[in-house]
Amino acid sequence: MQAQPQLDHAIEAIRVRFGSQALTRAAELPPPPAWRSGTPLDQLTGIGGLPHGRLSLLVGNGTCGKLTLALSLLAGATHEFAHPVVIDVSYGFDPQSLLPFQPASGPLTVVRPPVVDAAGEAASALARAGAGFILLMGEVPEPWLGPLESGASRSGTVVVGVVDAPSRAFAHASSLSLAFARAGWIWEREQLIGMRTIARCSKNRVAPPVGESELEIFYPPPGCARGRARVRVRAEVAVGERAWSAVV
Amino acid sequence: MVCCGLTPHLELARRPDLYGTPVVVGRWDDHVIAASDEAVAMGVTPGMPLRQAEHLCPLATFLMPDPETSLRLRELIAAALYDLAPVVEVRQEGVAWLDLDGVTSVQQAIREARRRLRAAAHTEPRLGLAGGPFTSRLAAARARPGRLLRVEDPRSFLDPLPSRELAFDADQMERLDLLGLRTLGAVAAIGPRELESQLGREGRRAVLLARGLEPDRLEPWRPPMFTSSHRQFEPPVEDREALLFVARALCGDLAEELGLRGAGAKEVRVRLHLEDAEEELRDSVVRHPLGSAAELFGLVGSWIKEWQPASPITEMWVELPVLEASGRRQLRLWAGGDGTSEEVVAALERLQERFGEGAVTQVKVG
Repeated sequence: MQAQPQLDHAIEAIRVRFGSQALTRAAELPPPPAWRSGTPLDQLTGIGGLPHGRLSLLVGNGTCGKLTLALSLLAGATHEFAHPVVIDVSYGFDPQSLLPFQPASGPLTVVRPPVVDAAGEAASALARAGAGFILLMGEVPEPWLGPLESGASRSGTVVVGVVDAPSRAFAHASSLSLAFARAGWIWEREQLIGMRTIARCSKNRVAPPVGESELEIFYPPPGCARGRARVRVRAEVAVGERAWSAVV
Repeated sequence: MVCCGLTPHLELARRPDLYGTPVVVGRWDDHVIAASDEAVAMGVTPGMPLRQAEHLCPLATFLMPDPETSLRLRELIAAALYDLAPVVEVRQEGVAWLDLDGVTSVQQAIREARRRLRAAAHTEPRLGLAGGPFTSRLAAARARPGRLLRVEDPRSFLDPLPSRELAFDADQMERLDLLGLRTLGAVAAIGPRELESQLGREGRRAVLLARGLEPDRLEPWRPPMFTSSHRQFEPPVEDREALLFVARALCGDLAEELGLRGAGAKEVRVRLHLEDAEEELRDSVVRHPLGSAAELFGLVGSWIKEWQPASPITEMWVELPVLEASGRRQLRLWAGGDGTSEEVVAALERLQERFGEGAVTQVKVG
């Protein structure tokens, strides 16, 4: 607390010498416009949705719910954007897996690049062209991260990447990283119906960090491809207070 | 209704710095092509021998004609007026006609035409509005600079005008004079068949013109279906980033031109002139016409990024050999990013061209 006056004095000195724009508090910067996805992730970003024109990452090892959340975002994007695109770097995307999230009827563009370098080219070209939403199923090579960032920033494309553990460059390029860790399974009558996962905002360049949430992910009933998958917030933890809020 | 805009002859308009002084354009031992108002006041007229013009107006500035520059100026004026009226005709003599039939806001179109003509010719145009090109041209010639003269009743406007406005040659004018037809009213009073027997088919046309019946139709200007932009490099360039920078600028210039024409490129070609080797080129036909700078550079830039020229580059050309009308579609009101649909589709097509059809698929969901 004693350092606060000295810090304020230093900030004031920098502003007087180099201008008022030389040093700005992160909290004072205007946040990028947010896309309200309608998923619980909106509450973790600090701006009420995923940032337009930025790269957001969903990361986590193994089965932790990141792909389920990504599919939920993609299904929402099919309703809101003219051109949602999936760049399937790992060739692991199954369009049928999107059905439980009730996507809008219509064509979905899937890019399956033959080489990893092509993924970067595709992502940056589509971001520059103004595709509304890009889901990256895997990483793009480091040389393409700059063009991807600038292209998305110019067009306002929402770019979401899904990876187990991002490389340093990929993590650095992201403005928002949400880390997932499985907390447990949800059983009902000895049947696995879902999972509980902790979603934590591990990096946030668009707003002060908000905290973490415990999410419950319910799988669609077995044998029912069009059954509805649900994601709901079970609990929230504020970073400053570290106290559980009421169960939602 | 036809609106006529009069500017100086385009051979004179290419030298706006000489406005207000006597200027004569023509080749030595040939005839005068154009003369400024100041030279005309001294007795110089287009068509007379240049030697005679020099004798009449020795202080005039004599210019060699530059057909290429004046033709480019004509194209520029026609392109500038193209979106104001369904039919536009521009002539080297500094006459621009706009057929305003079907135009919803005639006044606005005329105002805009005046502004664009002023910007192209660097002087206030005279404007005339009448039922056809002949009457509107005569009206424009009698309007003050920057003003519009509207002709409501063509007969009462044309009748007192001299018959030399019919632009006959000297022999025909002499015959008209011998017949006592010294005004358009006198020409209009005579029967078309009678004058046809004296002057041939031109006589019949002259009577119709004098009566305000406007037998002539405008020849619509059409934008050329080819365009290109290029840049020379001195010294020759080897740096890829420099090439990309120039390519982006060239694509921007071309996109601006396409936007003015309401056209899109169906084919794109890039040619590199090399210092010590044969010219190299890339060419591609695209499914959807490319119109914006981002679309053009998306294709051109992808070529340049992997181009391995054999030697340093002295000149780069970006050519659009096939143009077509770029249609405008209705946007979906609530779908974000729908305005950039064409660019996204074009980007996806380029990815298919580069990595094969299977690289991009459309799957049906929902």
